[in-house]
Amino acid sequence: MAAYLSVALYLGYRVYNNYSEESSVFLLHLVYQVNFGLLVLFLSKAFYIWRQLLLYHKNKFLQIAWDWFELLLAATLLLTIFNFNYTSYIFLPLLALMGFYILFLCTNMKWVAYLTFNNKSRSLVLLGAILLSCYIFFRFFKNTANSPNLVIDYSDVGFLLLAMLFVSLYTLAAFLVSLFSLPTSGVFEQKSEDLLNFQRLSQSIQQGQSEAQVYDMLFESTIKASDANAAWFELIRNGEPQISHLLNIDAPQTTRIRHLLLAYNIQNIDYINNNLSRNPGFRELALPWKSMAILPIKSTKHLSGILYLLKDIEGGFDRETVNVLRTFTSQTMLTIENLRLINESLQNERYKEELKIATQVQESLIPKTFPTDSWFEISTHAVAAKEVGGDFYDFLQLSESRIAIIIGDVSGKGISAAFHMAQMKGIFHGLMQQDMPPSEFMKQANSALSRCLERTSFITSALYIIDYRMKGFMFARAGHCHTLYYNSMMDDVFYFQTEGLGLGIIRDKNYANHIREMYYDYNPEDVMVIYTDGIVEARNKANEEYGEDRLLYMLKQTYHLEAEDIKWAIINDLEDFTGPGNLYDDQTLMVIKFKPAQPKK
Amino acid sequence: MKITQEIKDSTVIMTLDGELDASSSVLLDEELSDPEIMKYSKILVDCQNLHYISSAGLGVFISHLQRFEDAQIKLIFYNMQDKVRNVFEILGLDLLMTIVSDYEEARTIANE
Repeated sequence: MAAYLSVALYLGYRVYNNYSEESSVFLLHLVYQVNFGLLVLFLSKAFYIWRQLLLYHKNKFLQIAWDWFELLLAATLLLTIFNFNYTSYIFLPLLALMGFYILFLCTNMKWVAYLTFNNKSRSLVLLGAILLSCYIFFRFFKNTANSPNLVIDYSDVGFLLLAMLFVSLYTLAAFLVSLFSLPTSGVFEQKSEDLLNFQRLSQSIQQGQSEAQVYDMLFESTIKASDANAAWFELIRNGEPQISHLLNIDAPQTTRIRHLLLAYNIQNIDYINNNLSRNPGFRELALPWKSMAILPIKSTKHLSGILYLLKDIEGGFDRETVNVLRTFTSQTMLTIENLRLINESLQNERYKEELKIATQVQESLIPKTFPTDSWFEISTHAVAAKEVGGDFYDFLQLSESRIAIIIGDVSGKGISAAFHMAQMKGIFHGLMQQDMPPSEFMKQANSALSRCLERTSFITSALYIIDYRMKGFMFARAGHCHTLYYNSMMDDVFYFQTEGLGLGIIRDKNYANHIREMYYDYNPEDVMVIYTDGIVEARNKANEEYGEDRLLYMLKQTYHLEAEDIKWAIINDLEDFTGPGNLYDDQTLMVIKFKPAQPKK
Repeated sequence: MKITQEIKDSTVIMTLDGELDASSSVLLDEELSDPEIMKYSKILVDCQNLHYISSAGLGVFISHLQRFEDAQIKLIFYNMQDKVRNVFEILGLDLLMTIVSDYEEARTIANE
C-alpha cells in the first residue's frame, strides 16, 4: 500500500511539471501514457486487494455476488471494444445500477472488525493515502481530458471508470468504517483476549498444569478483564484463607478489609460494591479505591479460594464485567475440580497397579503342589479378592513321617499385606527347620513379627504338625479361625474351641500366656477343614454371613466323600450362597482327610 | 460408619454405627488418636449398631490398646452383637479387652 503513496507523490510532481511547462505535446503524451499505465497498475492492484478483503469471511451469497460483479465489470469492456457510447440513455441506467451494486458490495467490511486499535490507526493512514492517490488520478485525467492536444482520451472508458468508482468507494467506506469503529475496537480486543484466557484456563488440564498455575492464570486474566487497580487472591487451605497473590495492595490493608467484611458478615459470597466511599466502614479505612468485587471460587461442595478486585473509580464493576469475571471463576473451579479428578484417577490407577503386584506376589508365595502321601488326602482352594489381600498357606516336610502345615491371614491389604505374607512364610520356613512345637513357633513368630509389623497390623495363623507314625496331630491357633473336624469314630462334626491370640497384638513376653497347644489322635477317615475368615464371613446380597454353622452342616453332609469332593461341595455351596462376583475377602479352604493306608516300608 | 462421642464427667461414650471396614477405620483412628481423649479415664464403646468389623478396624483398636493401658485409661466395649463378638473371640481379643453385655455393667466396671 505504501507504494501507492509514492506513486501519488510521483504523480503530483508530474502534474505540477505538466502545469508549469505546458509546452511539448510529446511530453504531455508521454506523461499521460505513463500515468495511465500507473493508473492501471494502481487500479488492478487495489482491485485485487479489495477483492481479498471483501471476500474475507465470505459466504456463498457474497461469493456469487462478487463473481457477478466481476463478470459485469468485464462486460463493460465490451462497450469500449464495440465503441458504444456508454453515456447513451440505454446504458446510463445500467451503469447507475452497477454503481448501486458497488455500493452494496461496499457494505462487506468484516475484516475491519478483526483489526486491533493499532492496526486500525495504521490502516487509516494507508486508506487516506489511497484516497488521495485516487483523487490525484481523478484530477489528472479530468483535467487532461479536456486538453485539445491529446490524441486518445481514456476517461471515456466505462470499465476504468467503474473500477475506479469501486476502488475509491470501497476505500472511502473502509476509511469511514475504520474511523468510526476505532473507539469500539478496544472492547473487541478485550473480548477476544477474555476468550483466549478462557481457552487457556480450560486447556490447562491437557497441558498438565498445576492448581497454582491455574490460579496464576485466573488472577492475571481477571485483572486484565476488569481493568482492576488492585487485587488479591486468597487460597483456602484446611479452612484457613492464605493470601497467594497480591497486586498494588499490602497485607495489612487486606486484613483490614477482611475484618470489615467479617463485621458486615460478608463471607464467601459474590459481592459487588461500586460505591465504597458511601459506606462509612470503608471510608474509615481511607482506601484509595472506590469499587470492589469479591468472587469466591467455589463448587457445590467446597470453597477453594476468594478473589478480591479493587478499582479506583466508582461503578467500576458493571454488569458486563461482572459476568465475564463470574465466567472466569466458574471456569477456574471447573478446571481445578477436573485437575483434582485427574489426580485422583491417577492415584487409583497406581493403587490398582500396586494391587496387581500384590496379587502376583501372593500367588507366587502359595505352593501349587502339595505332597501326595498314602497317609492322607489334601485338597486346597484359594481365591484372592481384589480389595483385601493376605491369605496364605504353606507346608514343610519335617521328617519322613511328619509334616507341618500353616495357614494364615495378614491384616491390611495391597503391597504391605503381600510383604508381611512373605515375611511370615520366611519365619515359618526358618523356625520350622529347628522343628519346634506349634506353641513355641507362635511365640517366636510373635516376637519376630513384633519388630517389623506396623502397629495396626496383625497376623492370624494356625500351625498343624501331623505325625503319621503317631497317628496324631499337634496344633496351635493364633487368632485364626477354629478348625472344623469330623471324628469318624464318634461320627461327630465339631470345632476345636481353643484359645489363642493373634500374632502382633501383644508385642512382649506376655504373649506366651495367650497361646495354647493341643494334641489330638486321629482316626482313619477323619476330616479336618482349615479355612480363613473369607469363607465364614462371606456375605450374600442380604448381607448375611455364611457362618460357621453352615460350614459345619456342609461337612456333616459330605464327610464320607474324598477330600477333593468335600472341598468342591463346600465351595459350590458358598458360591450358591453369595451369588456370582460377590467376593469381599480372600478365601482359602483346605480339606485334609486321613486315610487308613499304611506307610510304605 | 458413623462415630458419635458423648462426654459424661471423666467418661467418653463412643457410639459406633455401621460397618467398620478398611475405609471407615481411618475415621475411628482419627477419633482415638485425638489427644483430647487422653484427658478422660474411661472410654466406653457402644457396639449395638456395629454390624461388622474388619481386620483393619480391629487393628485400630489393637494399636491404641497399649497406649490406653499405659495411660491407665479403661477401654470397655458393650452391647456387642454376637457376630462381632465372635470376631473378637476368635482373634483372642476378648481376653485382652473388656467386653461386657450392657451399659450398666460397663458403667460398674469402669467405676471400679
